[in-house]
Amino acid sequence: MNIWIKDLSFSYPNFTLKVKDLSFEGEKITSIVGPNGAGKSTLLKCIGMINPVSKGSIFINGKDISEIKGTKRAQLIAYVPQEQTSIFNFSIIDFVLLGRTPYLNFLSKPSHKDIERAEEALRFVGIKNWKGRGILEISSGERRLVLIARTIVQEPEIFLLDEPTSFLDPKHEFEIMELIKNLSKKMGKTVILTLHNLELAVKYSDNLIFMKEGEIIGSGKTSDILNEDILEKVYDLKMKIVEIDGKKIILR
Amino acid sequence: MNGRLNKRKIAFIFIFFLPLFLGLISLLIGSYPIGIKDVIKTLLSIFSSNNEIPDVYRDIILKIRLPRIILALFVGASLSVSGASLQALFRNPLVNEYILGISSGAAFGASLSIVFFGKNFPVEISSFIFAFIAFFSVLLISKGTGSDIISLLLTGVIVSTFFTALLTLVEFLASPYSLQSLFFWLMGSLSVAGWREVGYSLPFMLAGILVLSLYGWRMNILSLGDEEARALGLNVKLEKIIIMLTTTLVTSSAISSAGIIGWIGLIIPHISRMIFGVENSVVIPASALIGASFLLIADDFSRGIASFEIPVGIFTSLIGIPFFIYFLKRSGKIWS
Repeated sequence: MNIWIKDLSFSYPNFTLKVKDLSFEGEKITSIVGPNGAGKSTLLKCIGMINPVSKGSIFINGKDISEIKGTKRAQLIAYVPQEQTSIFNFSIIDFVLLGRTPYLNFLSKPSHKDIERAEEALRFVGIKNWKGRGILEISSGERRLVLIARTIVQEPEIFLLDEPTSFLDPKHEFEIMELIKNLSKKMGKTVILTLHNLELAVKYSDNLIFMKEGEIIGSGKTSDILNEDILEKVYDLKMKIVEIDGKKIILR
Repeated sequence: MNGRLNKRKIAFIFIFFLPLFLGLISLLIGSYPIGIKDVIKTLLSIFSSNNEIPDVYRDIILKIRLPRIILALFVGASLSVSGASLQALFRNPLVNEYILGISSGAAFGASLSIVFFGKNFPVEISSFIFAFIAFFSVLLISKGTGSDIISLLLTGVIVSTFFTALLTLVEFLASPYSLQSLFFWLMGSLSVAGWREVGYSLPFMLAGILVLSLYGWRMNILSLGDEEARALGLNVKLEKIIIMLTTTLVTSSAISSAGIIGWIGLIIPHISRMIFGVENSVVIPASALIGASFLLIADDFSRGIASFEIPVGIFTSLIGIPFFIYFLKRSGKIWS
Protein backbone atom coordinates (compact mmCIF):
# COMPACT_ATOMS: atom_id res chain seq x y z
CA MET A 1 0.00 0.00 0.00
CA ASN A 2 1.67 3.20 -1.19
CA ILE A 3 0.38 6.70 -0.78
CA TRP A 4 1.22 9.46 -3.25
CA ILE A 5 -0.02 13.03 -2.94
CA LYS A 6 0.34 15.20 -6.04
CA ASP A 7 -0.21 18.98 -6.42
CA LEU A 8 -2.61 19.08 -3.51
CA SER A 9 -4.03 22.39 -2.42
CA PHE A 10 -6.65 23.07 0.23
CA SER A 11 -7.62 26.43 1.71
CA TYR A 12 -9.30 27.77 4.79
CA PRO A 13 -9.70 31.51 5.32
CA ASN A 14 -6.13 32.77 6.03
CA PHE A 15 -4.54 29.36 5.51
CA THR A 16 -3.52 27.30 2.50
CA LEU A 17 -2.13 23.80 2.49
CA LYS A 18 0.11 23.04 -0.46
CA VAL A 19 1.68 19.66 -1.15
CA LYS A 20 3.53 19.42 -4.44
CA ASP A 21 4.74 15.84 -4.37
CA LEU A 22 4.75 13.57 -1.34
CA SER A 23 4.90 9.82 -1.27
CA PHE A 24 5.39 7.28 1.48
CA GLU A 25 5.03 3.58 1.89
CA GLY A 26 2.18 1.87 3.67
CA GLU A 27 2.00 -0.84 6.35
CA LYS A 28 4.19 1.49 8.40
CA ILE A 29 3.73 4.24 10.96
CA THR A 30 4.07 7.69 9.44
CA SER A 31 3.94 10.73 11.71
CA ILE A 32 3.21 14.26 10.53
CA VAL A 33 5.02 16.69 12.82
CA GLY A 34 5.43 20.44 12.97
CA PRO A 35 4.49 23.50 15.03
CA ASN A 36 0.94 24.66 15.73
CA GLY A 37 -0.83 25.86 12.60
CA ALA A 38 1.52 23.97 10.28
CA GLY A 39 -1.38 22.18 8.60
CA LYS A 40 -0.81 18.68 10.04
CA SER A 41 -4.47 17.95 10.81
CA THR A 42 -5.56 19.56 7.54
CA LEU A 43 -3.27 17.24 5.57
CA LEU A 44 -4.51 14.24 7.55
CA LYS A 45 -8.14 15.16 6.84
CA CYS A 46 -7.33 15.64 3.15
CA ILE A 47 -5.88 12.12 2.99
CA GLY A 48 -9.12 10.81 4.48
CA MET A 49 -11.17 13.04 2.12
CA ILE A 50 -12.80 14.50 5.22
CA ASN A 51 -11.66 17.82 3.82
CA PRO A 52 -13.05 17.73 0.29
CA VAL A 53 -9.98 18.17 -1.88
CA SER A 54 -10.72 20.37 -4.86
CA LYS A 55 -7.21 20.72 -6.30
CA GLY A 56 -4.70 17.92 -6.75
CA SER A 57 -4.90 14.19 -6.19
CA ILE A 58 -4.21 11.56 -3.58
CA PHE A 59 -3.42 8.09 -4.85
CA ILE A 60 -3.53 4.92 -2.78
CA ASN A 61 -1.83 2.06 -4.59
CA GLY A 62 -2.19 4.07 -7.78
CA LYS A 63 -5.92 4.67 -7.39
CA ASP A 64 -7.22 8.21 -6.99
CA ILE A 65 -9.18 8.19 -3.72
CA SER A 66 -11.60 10.86 -4.92
CA GLU A 67 -12.98 8.08 -7.16
CA ILE A 68 -13.69 5.87 -4.15
CA LYS A 69 -16.97 7.02 -2.67
CA GLY A 70 -18.84 6.82 0.63
CA THR A 71 -18.89 3.47 2.35
CA LYS A 72 -16.19 1.96 0.08
CA ARG A 73 -13.82 4.70 1.19
CA ALA A 74 -14.83 4.21 4.83
CA GLN A 75 -13.96 0.52 4.45
CA LEU A 76 -10.48 1.56 3.29
CA ILE A 77 -9.68 4.56 5.50
CA ALA A 78 -10.69 5.23 9.12
CA TYR A 79 -10.25 8.49 10.96
CA VAL A 80 -9.78 9.10 14.67
CA PRO A 81 -10.44 12.73 15.63
CA GLN A 82 -8.45 14.53 18.31
CA GLU A 83 -11.31 14.25 20.77
CA GLN A 84 -14.57 12.44 20.43
CA THR A 85 -17.30 14.86 19.49
CA SER A 86 -20.39 12.95 20.53
CA ILE A 87 -23.00 15.07 22.24
CA PHE A 88 -24.90 11.99 23.37
CA ASN A 89 -23.74 9.73 26.16
CA PHE A 90 -23.75 6.58 24.01
CA SER A 91 -23.01 3.33 25.77
CA ILE A 92 -19.43 2.32 24.97
CA ILE A 93 -20.53 -0.72 22.97
CA ASP A 94 -23.01 1.32 20.89
CA PHE A 95 -20.31 3.91 20.24
CA VAL A 96 -17.88 1.26 18.98
CA LEU A 97 -20.63 -0.30 16.87
CA LEU A 98 -20.98 2.97 14.95
CA GLY A 99 -17.74 1.88 13.25
CA ARG A 100 -19.64 -0.96 11.53
CA THR A 101 -21.81 1.53 9.60
CA PRO A 102 -19.84 1.21 6.32
CA TYR A 103 -20.80 -2.48 6.26
CA LEU A 104 -24.47 -2.05 7.07
CA ASN A 105 -27.22 -1.91 4.49
CA PHE A 106 -29.02 1.40 4.22
CA LEU A 107 -31.37 1.85 7.21
CA SER A 108 -30.30 -1.43 8.88
CA LYS A 109 -28.77 -1.91 12.33
CA PRO A 110 -25.74 -3.89 13.54
CA SER A 111 -26.13 -7.66 13.94
CA HIS A 112 -24.98 -9.99 16.75
CA LYS A 113 -21.81 -10.64 14.75
CA ASP A 114 -21.12 -6.91 14.67
CA ILE A 115 -21.58 -6.80 18.45
CA GLU A 116 -19.07 -9.65 18.85
CA ARG A 117 -16.61 -7.74 16.65
CA ALA A 118 -17.07 -4.63 18.78
CA GLU A 119 -16.48 -6.56 22.00
CA GLU A 120 -13.36 -8.09 20.48
CA ALA A 121 -12.07 -4.63 19.51
CA LEU A 122 -12.66 -3.37 23.05
CA ARG A 123 -10.65 -6.29 24.41
CA PHE A 124 -7.89 -5.57 21.86
CA VAL A 125 -7.53 -1.96 22.99
CA GLY A 126 -7.59 -3.06 26.63
CA ILE A 127 -10.90 -1.57 27.77
CA LYS A 128 -12.38 -3.73 30.47
CA ASN A 129 -15.71 -3.34 32.21
CA TRP A 130 -17.31 -1.36 29.41
CA LYS A 131 -20.76 -2.66 30.20
CA GLY A 132 -23.16 -0.08 31.52
CA ARG A 133 -20.73 2.79 31.03
CA GLY A 134 -21.29 5.78 28.75
CA ILE A 135 -18.79 7.43 26.44
CA LEU A 136 -19.04 10.71 28.36
CA GLU A 137 -18.43 9.04 31.71
CA ILE A 138 -14.93 7.66 31.06
CA SER A 139 -11.54 9.37 31.19
CA SER A 140 -10.18 11.04 28.08
CA GLY A 141 -7.46 8.37 27.86
CA GLU A 142 -10.05 5.61 27.83
CA ARG A 143 -12.09 7.60 25.32
CA ARG A 144 -9.15 7.62 22.90
CA LEU A 145 -8.92 3.85 23.27
CA VAL A 146 -12.65 3.51 22.57
CA LEU A 147 -12.27 5.73 19.51
CA ILE A 148 -9.49 3.48 18.25
CA ALA A 149 -11.69 0.43 18.94
CA ARG A 150 -14.37 2.08 16.78
CA THR A 151 -11.93 2.39 13.90
CA ILE A 152 -10.74 -1.21 14.37
CA VAL A 153 -14.28 -2.53 13.80
CA GLN A 154 -14.34 -0.38 10.69
CA GLU A 155 -11.68 -2.85 9.39
CA PRO A 156 -9.81 -0.30 7.28
CA GLU A 157 -6.40 -0.65 5.66
CA ILE A 158 -5.39 2.87 6.64
CA PHE A 159 -5.75 4.46 10.08
CA LEU A 160 -5.61 8.24 10.34
CA LEU A 161 -5.14 9.50 13.89
CA ASP A 162 -5.22 13.18 14.76
CA GLU A 163 -3.09 13.96 17.83
CA PRO A 164 -3.95 10.67 19.54
CA THR A 165 -1.88 11.46 22.64
CA SER A 166 -2.67 15.12 23.29
CA PHE A 167 -3.62 15.95 26.90
CA LEU A 168 -2.88 12.42 28.07
CA ASP A 169 -0.74 11.39 31.03
CA PRO A 170 2.44 9.37 30.29
CA LYS A 171 0.78 6.03 31.09
CA HIS A 172 -2.10 6.56 28.64
CA GLU A 173 0.31 8.10 26.13
CA PHE A 174 2.36 4.90 26.28
CA GLU A 175 -0.74 2.67 26.00
CA ILE A 176 -2.01 4.51 22.94
CA MET A 177 1.37 4.48 21.17
CA GLU A 178 1.86 0.77 21.87
CA LEU A 179 -1.61 0.14 20.48
CA ILE A 180 -0.74 2.13 17.36
CA LYS A 181 2.46 0.08 17.04
CA ASN A 182 0.39 -3.11 17.22
CA LEU A 183 -1.98 -1.86 14.52
CA SER A 184 0.98 -1.53 12.21
CA LYS A 185 3.26 -4.39 13.30
CA LYS A 186 0.71 -7.06 14.28
CA MET A 187 -2.19 -6.19 12.00
CA GLY A 188 -0.10 -4.91 9.07
CA LYS A 189 -2.08 -1.69 8.75
CA THR A 190 -0.94 1.67 7.45
CA VAL A 191 -1.01 4.25 10.24
CA ILE A 192 -0.69 7.97 9.61
CA LEU A 193 -0.85 10.27 12.61
CA THR A 194 -0.20 13.82 13.60
CA LEU A 195 1.89 14.32 16.72
CA HIS A 196 3.05 17.25 18.78
CA ASN A 197 5.35 15.16 20.88
CA LEU A 198 8.58 14.84 18.88
CA GLU A 199 10.08 12.23 21.18
CA LEU A 200 7.10 9.93 20.64
CA ALA A 201 7.16 10.57 16.90
CA VAL A 202 10.84 9.63 16.69
CA LYS A 203 10.45 6.59 18.92
CA TYR A 204 7.44 5.03 17.17
CA SER A 205 7.47 6.25 13.57
CA ASP A 206 8.99 4.52 10.56
CA ASN A 207 8.52 7.69 8.50
CA LEU A 208 8.35 11.36 9.40
CA ILE A 209 6.76 14.23 7.50
CA PHE A 210 7.87 17.70 8.65
CA MET A 211 5.43 20.54 8.01
CA LYS A 212 5.49 24.30 8.49
CA GLU A 213 3.04 27.01 7.40
CA GLY A 214 1.06 24.68 5.19
CA GLU A 215 4.00 23.21 3.33
CA ILE A 216 6.08 20.06 3.52
CA ILE A 217 9.60 20.85 4.69
CA GLY A 218 10.90 17.31 4.43
CA SER A 219 9.85 13.68 4.55
CA GLY A 220 11.43 10.26 4.64
CA LYS A 221 12.50 7.40 6.87
CA THR A 222 12.91 8.55 10.45
CA SER A 223 16.54 7.44 10.56
CA ASP A 224 17.35 9.37 7.36
CA ILE A 225 15.35 12.56 7.73
CA LEU A 226 15.83 13.40 11.40
CA ASN A 227 18.64 15.89 11.95
CA GLU A 228 19.24 19.08 13.89
CA ASP A 229 18.97 21.30 10.80
CA ILE A 230 15.48 20.23 9.87
CA LEU A 231 14.32 20.58 13.49
CA GLU A 232 15.61 24.16 13.61
CA LYS A 233 14.07 24.95 10.22
CA VAL A 234 10.67 23.61 11.23
CA TYR A 235 10.48 24.78 14.85
CA ASP A 236 12.75 27.87 14.76
CA LEU A 237 14.47 26.39 17.78
CA LYS A 238 17.87 24.85 18.27
CA MET A 239 17.62 21.25 19.38
CA LYS A 240 20.25 18.62 19.89
CA ILE A 241 20.02 14.98 18.88
CA VAL A 242 21.98 12.45 20.87
CA GLU A 243 22.17 8.73 20.37
CA ILE A 244 21.86 6.47 23.40
CA ASP A 245 21.89 2.69 22.91
CA GLY A 246 21.27 3.20 19.19
CA LYS A 247 18.16 5.32 19.83
CA LYS A 248 17.94 8.96 18.83
CA ILE A 249 16.90 11.30 21.64
CA ILE A 250 16.02 14.97 21.11
CA LEU A 251 17.29 17.44 23.71
CA ARG A 252 15.90 20.94 24.00
CA MET B 1 -26.55 -3.99 32.36
CA ASN B 2 -28.75 -6.97 31.48
CA GLY B 3 -31.20 -5.90 34.17
CA ARG B 4 -31.33 -2.43 32.70
CA LEU B 5 -31.75 -3.84 29.19
CA ASN B 6 -34.61 -6.05 30.29
CA LYS B 7 -36.24 -3.11 32.04
CA ARG B 8 -35.95 -1.12 28.83
CA LYS B 9 -37.44 -3.97 26.80
CA ILE B 10 -40.39 -4.18 29.17
CA ALA B 11 -40.77 -0.40 29.07
CA PHE B 12 -40.74 -0.47 25.26
CA ILE B 13 -43.40 -3.19 25.13
CA PHE B 14 -45.46 -1.08 27.55
CA ILE B 15 -45.24 2.10 25.46
CA PHE B 16 -45.85 0.08 22.29
CA PHE B 17 -49.33 -0.99 23.44
CA LEU B 18 -50.07 2.17 25.42
CA PRO B 19 -51.48 4.23 22.48
CA LEU B 20 -53.89 1.42 21.59
CA PHE B 21 -55.07 1.06 25.18
CA LEU B 22 -55.43 4.82 25.65
CA GLY B 23 -57.21 5.06 22.31
CA LEU B 24 -59.87 2.65 23.52
CA ILE B 25 -60.23 4.45 26.86
CA SER B 26 -60.45 7.80 25.06
CA LEU B 27 -63.45 6.57 23.08
CA LEU B 28 -65.34 6.57 26.39
CA ILE B 29 -64.53 10.18 27.16
CA GLY B 30 -66.81 12.97 26.05
CA SER B 31 -69.86 15.02 27.00
CA TYR B 32 -72.22 12.30 25.77
CA PRO B 33 -71.84 9.22 27.98
CA ILE B 34 -71.46 5.95 26.09
CA GLY B 35 -70.58 2.75 27.97
CA ILE B 36 -67.68 0.47 27.08
CA LYS B 37 -69.92 -2.29 25.72
CA ASP B 38 -71.63 0.11 23.34
CA VAL B 39 -68.29 1.57 22.30
CA ILE B 40 -66.98 -1.90 21.43
CA LYS B 41 -70.20 -2.85 19.65
CA THR B 42 -70.07 0.37 17.63
CA LEU B 43 -66.45 -0.23 16.73
CA LEU B 44 -67.20 -3.81 15.65
CA SER B 45 -70.10 -2.57 13.56
CA ILE B 46 -67.50 -1.20 11.11
CA PHE B 47 -66.78 -4.79 10.10
CA SER B 48 -70.35 -6.08 10.21
CA SER B 49 -73.79 -4.84 9.30
CA ASN B 50 -75.10 -4.52 12.85
CA ASN B 51 -78.22 -2.39 12.59
CA GLU B 52 -78.94 -2.38 16.33
CA ILE B 53 -76.42 0.38 16.99
CA PRO B 54 -78.18 3.75 17.36
CA ASP B 55 -77.13 6.33 14.77
CA VAL B 56 -76.13 8.76 17.50
CA TYR B 57 -73.52 6.25 18.76
CA ARG B 58 -72.18 5.74 15.27
CA ASP B 59 -71.95 9.49 14.76
CA ILE B 60 -70.25 10.18 18.08
CA ILE B 61 -67.87 7.23 18.13
CA LEU B 62 -67.04 6.80 14.46
CA LYS B 63 -67.37 10.32 13.09
CA ILE B 64 -66.28 12.48 16.03
CA ARG B 65 -64.21 10.63 18.63
CA LEU B 66 -62.36 8.08 16.48
CA PRO B 67 -60.87 10.50 13.91
CA ARG B 68 -59.96 12.87 16.72
CA ILE B 69 -58.17 10.12 18.66
CA ILE B 70 -56.32 8.92 15.57
CA LEU B 71 -55.26 12.47 14.77
CA ALA B 72 -54.16 13.14 18.36
CA LEU B 73 -51.99 9.99 18.29
CA PHE B 74 -50.35 10.86 14.99
CA VAL B 75 -49.89 14.57 15.71
CA GLY B 76 -48.25 13.72 19.05
CA ALA B 77 -46.03 11.12 17.38
CA SER B 78 -45.09 13.47 14.53
CA LEU B 79 -44.10 16.42 16.71
CA SER B 80 -42.05 14.16 19.02
CA VAL B 81 -40.24 12.35 16.21
CA SER B 82 -39.52 15.62 14.51
CA GLY B 83 -38.06 17.14 17.72
CA ALA B 84 -35.94 14.04 18.42
CA SER B 85 -34.54 14.02 14.88
CA LEU B 86 -33.73 17.73 14.86
CA GLN B 87 -31.99 17.53 18.25
CA ALA B 88 -29.77 14.71 16.97
CA LEU B 89 -29.12 16.36 13.64
CA PHE B 90 -28.23 19.77 15.06
CA ARG B 91 -26.50 18.29 18.10
CA ASN B 92 -28.36 20.46 20.55
CA PRO B 93 -30.92 19.66 23.25
CA LEU B 94 -32.79 22.95 22.77
CA VAL B 95 -33.52 22.53 19.11
CA ASN B 96 -37.07 21.80 18.07
CA GLU B 97 -39.43 22.64 15.25
CA TYR B 98 -40.38 25.98 16.87
CA ILE B 99 -36.89 27.28 17.37
CA LEU B 100 -35.97 26.46 13.77
CA GLY B 101 -38.90 28.43 12.37
CA ILE B 102 -40.70 25.38 10.96
CA SER B 103 -43.77 25.85 13.13
CA SER B 104 -44.13 29.59 12.50
CA GLY B 105 -43.73 29.03 8.77
CA ALA B 106 -46.30 26.24 8.84
CA ALA B 107 -48.67 28.37 10.95
CA PHE B 108 -48.39 31.30 8.54
CA GLY B 109 -48.95 29.01 5.54
CA ALA B 110 -51.99 27.45 7.16
CA SER B 111 -53.40 30.85 8.13
CA LEU B 112 -53.08 32.06 4.54
CA SER B 113 -55.04 29.06 3.40
CA ILE B 114 -57.71 29.42 6.11
CA VAL B 115 -58.22 33.16 5.66
CA PHE B 116 -57.66 33.82 1.97
CA PHE B 117 -57.72 30.62 -0.06
CA GLY B 118 -60.55 28.78 1.65
CA LYS B 119 -61.04 25.34 0.21
CA ASN B 120 -59.32 26.28 -3.05
CA PHE B 121 -55.90 25.53 -1.67
CA PRO B 122 -55.40 22.71 0.87
CA VAL B 123 -54.13 23.98 4.18
CA GLU B 124 -51.62 21.08 4.35
CA ILE B 125 -49.83 22.12 1.17
CA SER B 126 -49.72 25.80 2.03
CA SER B 127 -48.45 24.87 5.48
CA PHE B 128 -45.69 22.62 4.10
CA ILE B 129 -44.53 25.22 1.56
CA PHE B 130 -44.11 27.96 4.15
CA ALA B 131 -42.63 25.60 6.75
CA PHE B 132 -40.08 24.63 4.10
CA ILE B 133 -39.37 28.29 3.20
CA ALA B 134 -38.93 29.24 6.88
CA PHE B 135 -36.66 26.30 7.75
CA PHE B 136 -34.43 26.65 4.72
CA SER B 137 -34.23 30.44 5.25
CA VAL B 138 -32.89 29.70 8.73
CA LEU B 139 -30.30 27.30 7.33
CA LEU B 140 -29.23 29.64 4.53
CA ILE B 141 -28.98 32.76 6.69
CA SER B 142 -27.10 31.02 9.51
CA LYS B 143 -24.66 29.29 7.15
CA GLY B 144 -21.11 30.57 7.30
CA THR B 145 -21.71 33.01 10.13
CA GLY B 146 -19.09 31.58 12.50
CA SER B 147 -20.46 29.94 15.62
CA ASP B 148 -22.78 27.44 13.97
CA ILE B 149 -25.25 26.44 16.64
CA ILE B 150 -25.60 29.89 18.19
CA SER B 151 -26.20 31.55 14.83
CA LEU B 152 -28.63 28.77 13.93
CA LEU B 153 -30.66 29.31 17.11
CA LEU B 154 -30.57 33.10 16.75
CA THR B 155 -31.59 32.95 13.10
CA GLY B 156 -34.35 30.52 14.03
CA VAL B 157 -35.73 32.98 16.56
CA ILE B 158 -35.54 35.83 14.04
CA VAL B 159 -37.19 33.90 11.21
CA SER B 160 -39.86 32.66 13.63
CA THR B 161 -40.56 36.24 14.69
CA PHE B 162 -40.77 37.30 11.05
CA PHE B 163 -43.35 34.63 10.21
CA THR B 164 -45.26 35.34 13.43
CA ALA B 165 -45.45 39.00 12.33
CA LEU B 166 -46.80 37.88 8.95
CA LEU B 167 -49.31 35.71 10.78
CA THR B 168 -50.44 38.72 12.81
CA LEU B 169 -50.87 40.63 9.55
CA VAL B 170 -53.09 37.84 8.23
CA GLU B 171 -55.14 38.02 11.45
CA PHE B 172 -55.45 41.78 11.00
CA LEU B 173 -56.69 41.41 7.44
CA ALA B 174 -59.00 38.47 8.12
CA SER B 175 -62.78 38.76 8.02
CA PRO B 176 -64.56 38.25 11.39
CA TYR B 177 -65.78 34.80 10.33
CA SER B 178 -62.41 33.48 9.16
CA LEU B 179 -60.70 35.16 12.13
CA GLN B 180 -62.75 33.02 14.50
CA SER B 181 -61.70 29.76 12.86
CA LEU B 182 -58.11 30.99 12.63
CA PHE B 183 -57.97 31.81 16.36
CA PHE B 184 -59.40 28.45 17.24
CA TRP B 185 -56.84 26.71 15.11
CA LEU B 186 -53.95 28.84 16.40
CA MET B 187 -54.63 27.85 20.00
CA GLY B 188 -53.84 24.30 19.09
CA SER B 189 -56.87 22.14 19.09
CA LEU B 190 -57.96 18.79 17.81
CA SER B 191 -61.61 19.72 18.03
CA VAL B 192 -61.97 20.30 14.30
CA ALA B 193 -60.55 16.87 13.58
CA GLY B 194 -62.60 14.78 11.22
CA TRP B 195 -61.91 12.08 8.67
CA ARG B 196 -61.03 14.78 6.13
CA GLU B 197 -58.12 16.00 8.31
CA VAL B 198 -57.08 12.41 8.98
CA GLY B 199 -57.20 11.56 5.28
CA TYR B 200 -55.16 14.59 4.23
CA SER B 201 -52.41 14.55 6.83
CA LEU B 202 -52.15 10.99 8.17
CA PRO B 203 -50.37 9.49 5.12
CA PHE B 204 -47.65 12.17 5.34
CA MET B 205 -47.28 11.85 9.10
CA LEU B 206 -47.17 8.04 8.94
CA ALA B 207 -44.63 8.02 6.11
CA GLY B 208 -42.46 10.62 7.86
CA ILE B 209 -42.55 8.82 11.21
CA LEU B 210 -41.51 5.56 9.53
CA VAL B 211 -38.68 7.16 7.54
CA LEU B 212 -37.29 8.99 10.57
CA SER B 213 -37.57 5.90 12.78
CA LEU B 214 -35.67 3.84 10.21
CA TYR B 215 -33.08 6.60 9.97
CA GLY B 216 -32.31 6.30 13.69
CA TRP B 217 -28.98 4.49 13.36
CA ARG B 218 -27.67 6.92 10.78
CA MET B 219 -28.77 9.81 13.00
CA ASN B 220 -26.37 8.44 15.62
CA ILE B 221 -23.57 8.94 13.10
CA LEU B 222 -24.81 12.38 12.06
CA SER B 223 -24.92 13.38 15.73
CA LEU B 224 -21.12 12.91 15.85
CA GLY B 225 -20.69 15.89 13.52
CA ASP B 226 -19.99 16.22 9.80
CA GLU B 227 -16.34 15.16 9.84
CA GLU B 228 -16.87 11.87 11.63
CA ALA B 229 -20.04 11.14 9.67
CA ARG B 230 -18.13 11.63 6.43
CA ALA B 231 -15.29 9.44 7.71
CA LEU B 232 -17.83 6.70 8.41
CA GLY B 233 -19.00 6.79 4.80
CA LEU B 234 -22.14 8.92 4.99
CA ASN B 235 -23.14 11.35 2.28
CA VAL B 236 -23.69 14.01 4.94
CA LYS B 237 -25.33 16.66 2.79
CA LEU B 238 -27.82 14.28 1.17
CA GLU B 239 -28.75 12.51 4.40
CA LYS B 240 -29.27 15.82 6.21
CA ILE B 241 -31.53 17.08 3.42
CA ILE B 242 -33.62 13.89 3.56
CA ILE B 243 -34.04 14.20 7.32
CA MET B 244 -34.78 17.93 7.22
CA LEU B 245 -37.37 17.56 4.45
CA THR B 246 -39.03 14.70 6.28
CA THR B 247 -39.17 16.59 9.58
CA THR B 248 -40.62 19.60 7.76
CA LEU B 249 -43.24 17.36 6.18
CA VAL B 250 -44.34 15.66 9.42
CA THR B 251 -44.34 18.91 11.39
CA SER B 252 -46.31 20.87 8.82
CA SER B 253 -48.79 18.00 8.43
CA ALA B 254 -49.27 17.91 12.19
CA ILE B 255 -49.60 21.69 12.52
CA SER B 256 -51.95 22.05 9.55
CA SER B 257 -54.38 19.60 11.10
CA ALA B 258 -54.08 20.49 14.79
CA GLY B 259 -52.66 24.00 15.01
CA ILE B 260 -49.73 24.98 17.19
CA ILE B 261 -49.26 22.56 20.06
CA GLY B 262 -46.22 23.47 22.10
CA TRP B 263 -43.72 21.57 24.20
CA ILE B 264 -44.15 18.10 22.74
CA GLY B 265 -41.25 18.30 20.26
CA LEU B 266 -38.96 19.53 23.00
CA ILE B 267 -39.76 17.41 26.04
CA ILE B 268 -40.91 14.05 24.69
CA PRO B 269 -37.54 13.22 23.03
CA HIS B 270 -35.79 14.05 26.32
CA ILE B 271 -38.16 11.86 28.32
CA SER B 272 -37.61 9.11 25.77
CA ARG B 273 -33.81 9.36 26.15
CA MET B 274 -34.11 9.36 29.94
CA ILE B 275 -35.99 6.05 29.77
CA PHE B 276 -34.33 4.29 26.82
CA GLY B 277 -30.84 5.79 26.55
CA VAL B 278 -29.55 7.85 23.67
CA GLU B 279 -29.34 5.40 20.78
CA ASN B 280 -31.54 7.06 18.16
CA SER B 281 -32.88 3.92 16.47
CA VAL B 282 -34.66 3.31 19.80
CA VAL B 283 -35.20 6.95 20.84
CA ILE B 284 -37.04 7.95 17.67
CA PRO B 285 -39.72 5.22 17.60
CA ALA B 286 -39.98 5.48 21.40
CA SER B 287 -40.56 9.23 21.08
CA ALA B 288 -43.30 8.53 18.54
CA LEU B 289 -45.07 6.13 20.91
CA ILE B 290 -44.68 8.30 24.02
CA GLY B 291 -45.63 11.47 22.12
CA ALA B 292 -48.73 9.79 20.69
CA SER B 293 -49.93 8.67 24.14
CA PHE B 294 -49.00 11.99 25.71
CA LEU B 295 -51.00 14.15 23.30
CA LEU B 296 -53.96 11.82 23.53
CA ILE B 297 -53.97 12.09 27.34
CA ALA B 298 -53.67 15.89 27.09
CA ASP B 299 -56.54 15.96 24.59
CA ASP B 300 -58.67 13.74 26.84
CA PHE B 301 -58.19 16.31 29.61
CA SER B 302 -58.91 19.13 27.21
CA ARG B 303 -62.31 17.74 26.21
CA GLY B 304 -63.23 15.78 29.32
CA ILE B 305 -62.35 17.97 32.30
CA ALA B 306 -65.01 20.66 31.77
CA SER B 307 -68.30 21.04 29.97
CA PHE B 308 -66.49 23.22 27.43
CA GLU B 309 -63.26 22.49 25.59
CA ILE B 310 -59.97 23.84 26.95
CA PRO B 311 -57.07 24.32 24.45
CA VAL B 312 -54.92 21.19 24.49
CA GLY B 313 -51.69 23.22 24.57
CA ILE B 314 -52.43 24.16 28.19
CA PHE B 315 -52.43 20.50 29.18
CA THR B 316 -49.35 19.55 27.18
CA SER B 317 -47.47 22.03 29.39
CA LEU B 318 -49.27 21.25 32.65
CA ILE B 319 -48.81 17.49 32.32
CA GLY B 320 -45.52 17.52 30.41
CA ILE B 321 -43.44 19.70 32.68
CA PRO B 322 -43.91 17.71 35.94
CA PHE B 323 -43.18 14.51 33.99
CA PHE B 324 -40.09 16.09 32.52
CA ILE B 325 -38.82 17.22 35.93
CA TYR B 326 -39.44 13.74 37.37
CA PHE B 327 -37.42 12.00 34.65
CA LEU B 328 -34.72 14.68 34.72
CA LYS B 329 -34.13 14.05 38.42
CA ARG B 330 -33.96 10.29 37.91
CA SER B 331 -31.86 10.06 34.78
CA GLY B 332 -28.08 9.97 34.49
CA LYS B 333 -25.85 11.88 32.12
CA ILE B 334 -27.34 12.17 28.64
CA TRP B 335 -25.76 15.18 26.91
CA SER B 336 -22.19 16.42 26.83
